[in-house]
Amino acid sequence: MTIVIDALQYLGYVLIFPGFLFCFLAGMLLCGIDRKLVAKMQKRVGPPILQPFYDFFKLCGKETIIPAAAERNTFMLSPLVGLAALVVIQLFIPVFGFTAFSGIGDIIVILYLLLVPALAMILGGAASGSPYAGVGLSREMVTIISCELPLVLVLLAVAKTVGGAIGTGLCFSLSQIAEYQEVNGSLITKISMLPAAAAMLLLIPGETGSHPFDAAEAETEICEGLLAEYSGAPLGVFKLSHAVKMLSLTSLFVALFLGGLGTGILALDAVLLFLLCALITAASISFVHAFTARLKIEQIFKYYWTVVSLLAAVSLALAWYGL
Amino acid sequence: MFKRLIAERTGKSPWLFHINAGSCNGCDIELVSVLTPRYDAERLGFKLAGSPRHADIVVVTGPVTKQSLPRVLRAISQVPEPRCIVTMGSCPQSGNVFRGSYSIAGPLSKYVPVDVDVAGCAPKPEAIIDGLTLAAKILKEKRGRMN
Repeated sequence: MTIVIDALQYLGYVLIFPGFLFCFLAGMLLCGIDRKLVAKMQKRVGPPILQPFYDFFKLCGKETIIPAAAERNTFMLSPLVGLAALVVIQLFIPVFGFTAFSGIGDIIVILYLLLVPALAMILGGAASGSPYAGVGLSREMVTIISCELPLVLVLLAVAKTVGGAIGTGLCFSLSQIAEYQEVNGSLITKISMLPAAAAMLLLIPGETGSHPFDAAEAETEICEGLLAEYSGAPLGVFKLSHAVKMLSLTSLFVALFLGGLGTGILALDAVLLFLLCALITAASISFVHAFTARLKIEQIFKYYWTVVSLLAAVSLALAWYGL
Repeated sequence: MFKRLIAERTGKSPWLFHINAGSCNGCDIELVSVLTPRYDAERLGFKLAGSPRHADIVVVTGPVTKQSLPRVLRAISQVPEPRCIVTMGSCPQSGNVFRGSYSIAGPLSKYVPVDVDVAGCAPKPEAIIDGLTLAAKILKEKRGRMN
């Protein structure tokens, strides 16, 4: 009997609260808020906040064209793989006191899972057989490599700070990090963590592939690159994945740096998490989007491996000496 | 319920794909001006798509030269259903000052069914937005007929 209840509970986690339904609604809303904010910053009226929902439902109703040169199954399945990986990430990220799944190595699992959506896009693009996707594919790979080093350094800095304080060396468990922050206050209040938080804020637009770092999906030069051949529902799922990725990364930021007591009531905590995510989206994605032009791919690489990595490394060094 | 949701939303998010079929660049600039802060067509959901596969509305400018005709037809056939075709400016409608020229294959309506014509040389941004919203309405009707 308890097994059945447990199974139902986990099914609820996967399908409803931190899982699919929450990801769909919160991710799309974040995307809408982002578009509205960018429009406001450019003195435009902007689309309605629900515009990403309209786009998604419209794409579901369109004809899906599969190019003759495409590898059919890979082409159709890769969007779903990417979305599933993102929903799983959301299950591991604590909502203040509450975590759906927790373990001792969450951070490492998340690090791997964050690669899956990008890899799914690369696979799908490669399977479409379009030369535009080929260019987009190589650029997407370089973007992943540029983001990976600073992201690992940021996560190590956090793991060392919390691990040093609770005496386990390195702490790779997000639920332990959340507990530590409940007792000792948010990590962002520590001076040694400020450069890491700044590096993470600069990483979010790169990881989501939003504006100055969107060389892989440049719609004006390579026809949206990897997505060039996608149409209809699979394209809608890719757009949804993009929105959910914004949610995953911003809520990871909240879990790492802005954790704390919360309110104790799950529903309120979820709303609080969403508001914090929206705030971080505004600061790190919309604000940067509104006034920058697209960077070249080698500029993206150089920027992440020098400026952002340096910020994260400073934080790691400070954490190592226990400051 | 899901079907109704799709049918209702189709008119609210029309993505444009712009084809230049030998245009003098006047209409192309006017189309971009529609997306600027002054007119901001994005408030109605309009967005320029990079690939014809993502588009709902095809906007054709220029008198359709003989060289561009096969490319125009190929790009239009890559747009998934339901789709709308809008001609912009007088050129694709009648040939305008290029009418009778040896290099012109137009008007476009000889080759594909055109849903909306926006006349003018070049049309005013207000006229373009009017034509595009009309195309969005037609798009919604076409989606309704698909069920």
